[in-house]
Amino acid sequence: MSTVDERTPEAEEPENPTNRPAGMHLVSRWMNRPYARRIILLTVIISAVIIALTFVMVAFMNLSGGPASDIQGEIEKTMYVLTFTCAPLMGFTLAIITYSWWGGWGKVKSEEEPTEEGPAIRTNGVAVVAWITVCSLLAAFLVIWGLVELATITASSYGSVAANQQPNSAKAIDINVTGQQWLWSFEYPDQGKITSSELVVPVNVPLYFNVTSLDVIHSFWVVEAGVKIDVNPGAITNTGFTPNKLGTFNIRCAELCGLHHAYMETNLRVVTQEQFESWVREQGGARTS
Amino acid sequence: MSDTAVIYEQKHVPQPRQVGKPGGFLHRTNFVTAVVSGIVLAAIFYFITGAIVQKVTGGGQQNNLSLPDGLQQQITMMYIGWIIGFMAGIGAFAGPIRWMLGHDLTHADAEYMSGKDMGRKKFWKYTTDHKVVGIQYLIVALILFGLGGLLAMLIRTELGVTWAEVFNPNFYNSLIGTHGIVMIIAMIIAVTGPLGNFIVPIMCGARDMAFPRLNALSLWLLVAAIPPLVSNLLMGGIRDGWTVYQPLADQAPVGMIGYQICIIVFAFSTGIASVNLITTVVTMRARGMTWSRVPIFVYGVVGSSIMGLIWFPMFQYSQILALSDRMLQTSFYTPASGGSVWLYENLFWLLGHPEVYVIVIPATAALLEIMPVFLRKPLFSYKLAIAGIFGIVGLSAVVWVHHMYMTGWAPSSNYPFMMSTEMISIPFSFLLLVMLGTMWRGKPWMKLPMMAVYAVIWNKVIGGITGVYLSDTPVDQYMHGSMFVVAHFHFMLMGAGLFGAMGAIAYWFPKMTNRYLDELIGAIGFWTAFVGFQVTFFAMFVAGLQGMPRRVLQFDQAFNIANWISTIGAYVIGIGMLIFLYAMITSWRSGKLAPGNPWGAHTLEAQTETPVPHENFPVLPVVTSDPYGFGVPDPYELLDSAELQAKEGVSKVGAS
Repeated sequence: MSTVDERTPEAEEPENPTNRPAGMHLVSRWMNRPYARRIILLTVIISAVIIALTFVMVAFMNLSGGPASDIQGEIEKTMYVLTFTCAPLMGFTLAIITYSWWGGWGKVKSEEEPTEEGPAIRTNGVAVVAWITVCSLLAAFLVIWGLVELATITASSYGSVAANQQPNSAKAIDINVTGQQWLWSFEYPDQGKITSSELVVPVNVPLYFNVTSLDVIHSFWVVEAGVKIDVNPGAITNTGFTPNKLGTFNIRCAELCGLHHAYMETNLRVVTQEQFESWVREQGGARTS
Repeated sequence: MSDTAVIYEQKHVPQPRQVGKPGGFLHRTNFVTAVVSGIVLAAIFYFITGAIVQKVTGGGQQNNLSLPDGLQQQITMMYIGWIIGFMAGIGAFAGPIRWMLGHDLTHADAEYMSGKDMGRKKFWKYTTDHKVVGIQYLIVALILFGLGGLLAMLIRTELGVTWAEVFNPNFYNSLIGTHGIVMIIAMIIAVTGPLGNFIVPIMCGARDMAFPRLNALSLWLLVAAIPPLVSNLLMGGIRDGWTVYQPLADQAPVGMIGYQICIIVFAFSTGIASVNLITTVVTMRARGMTWSRVPIFVYGVVGSSIMGLIWFPMFQYSQILALSDRMLQTSFYTPASGGSVWLYENLFWLLGHPEVYVIVIPATAALLEIMPVFLRKPLFSYKLAIAGIFGIVGLSAVVWVHHMYMTGWAPSSNYPFMMSTEMISIPFSFLLLVMLGTMWRGKPWMKLPMMAVYAVIWNKVIGGITGVYLSDTPVDQYMHGSMFVVAHFHFMLMGAGLFGAMGAIAYWFPKMTNRYLDELIGAIGFWTAFVGFQVTFFAMFVAGLQGMPRRVLQFDQAFNIANWISTIGAYVIGIGMLIFLYAMITSWRSGKLAPGNPWGAHTLEAQTETPVPHENFPVLPVVTSDPYGFGVPDPYELLDSAELQAKEGVSKVGAS
């Protein structure tokens, strides 16, 4: 990490002939500095710990039974990708502060006065260019990954492109979600306009939600399915997903909506097709689609 | 006055005539008269408005909130009366009125206003000296942190007591809202207030700020704006979080008016302070201080001021419209009458996001100023640091929609805004490289300010990686509105902002108070708070990952353990902060006396004596280099070139 590159010797090394390019020579010279290997080792260790922590994070996300949809699966995959991308940089940063803190380059105790000055490194072209390049490439990768993933989950939510937001799957079940202070109600227009305070849906069938509010802003969050959309008064927002797991999951309000915001929750019950049809009949609806 | 070479012959400038004794009316005004006149005018406005409303409506009319008729108007006018009365009582209008009467301020008047030879009384008055304003800002910030911290303890108590409701929901919601906005205001002023006012003019080699009276105005406007905000807790509260989204805010009781008035006034205060700081730095730097010799902290404060100046009016405007909706029954945000809730969200987040950088940038820049001194090394890539600061200032303008990914306002806009949000990590990485490069191979002097550097880099790494998750729309679809977000922004605002401010205050404490901050007690407080901070917010990350929404007072049992841990951590933070505060107070009163340059820094503020003389410098300094000329020639480079010379017999480079 010094400016030795500026004087990369064009001439070969007479004592020690080798086929390696000149740059390698500089790298190995740098690696022989006493701190270099330790910092690299620390970087590797810390990065590994960070990567391991991602699995813990995702495990926490799945603690309540998820992922219950493809979307949540994609979200968890994205979390892995984001962490793996950032881990080396984080590891390097934390390695340096750990090494410096620990006194790898020496330290002056609090009660003493520093007597000697450090090396006058004003800047280092190689380090700056390398750092900016690496960071920009990583950021570009994150952006591209994010854009592709966003397109994927948008297609998965709406069953179509985001531009017109029309479901292209004829089999999708439309559900009108209404939020009001402080309860949810779900209307099934295709099943004879039955309404329910609990979201009951068949497994592996695409769902399409038309979401609106009667009073203030709420946010419709189907936790384990990784679906969230604000519930706005005076506007209809849309989202959707395809449940792929049987069971009972959580629906919560994710936007402060007044006194009993904390209690504005209900259940998502994912059942089989037959159970769903019998539930619809129990509710007095008819299957019209 | 100055002993530097006289270039132009001093022309006789006609001085305004002295009317009365110097200072005039300002002899009578101080904080007490301000409070009294504020309360009196508030009462007068309250009753007059009541009478007018009674006259106009004839009474008997009920509005949709079933509040007594005209109460909203009365309360609003009461707060306006308080602001005007307070500012009149402190003497803010004395200067303009004298000017309108044709009595310009004389030099003697200005000296009186700057608090020359006044003793401690000057801290309670409309004093224009930037050093006094800096101390006043510090006190205000400490009071706000104390209040916000107390509210945070109450919040964590409620969340830790999972088996019962400690507070009723209305009060709990008011707690989170008030905690949020009080802490945001405290953080915004935490660095640019005390240090921007006290240190920056000295660092630039100026005798005072460019507009000393505006400086006092910005401080006292801030002081005037606080009581309306805090009084909301007695008037039904702002039960809508600090974001006070419409139309929920419209349902809130009259306490909301206090919030709105506070923001409207605070935005003026910030704007005035920003103009003042920018003008000072641009026009009043010492001779020889070219733009490539300006200390990096000054750049940080200027970057922060630019953002404040551009974006605060958006927030102010959003609250003016909200107040108009409430008072005049307009419908900017009422969907039923053609308004839009998304208009509010856009206006709010246009400030709401840059405000994070308004807080983080000066704290980071202060650490960049600290690092070279405690490592005795030059700042690594000074110009990259400037590029980083202004890159963030520029990009901060185009990222606000990432707070609105899930609002359904414009799903297609998520693509470009995700891109811009992730791009902002690039200028941040510049600042990170500058920090790491400065630390590289340096021998740290383990004083409290240097410890803050390590703490802040750690916190920023955590805040940064979680920020990457949240900037990514798909992941945000899970995280948005959960405790994960709360933990993330606490890592940025508190972890990077507040801990950075603590380091910066420890660093400049000797300059501001003439005394060292007690190293041992300060460090104990700092590290206790730091450990508590990690416990609190890592547990909160877990709660968020498990799916706990934010701003709830009761929740699923699955989140109990995380919340218990988090609450214990929060109490530890509280204890740590109290210890730090104790260290500050005792050191201020009876700490070890500090010399003019306690740390061996090269910046101008370290070259003047302590306590700083009335006009900062007996002789205005001339700057000949940037303040980072630390260090000895790099031994490795010497070694390398020695080796090369030995090998090749020639010296290929003139470097080293």
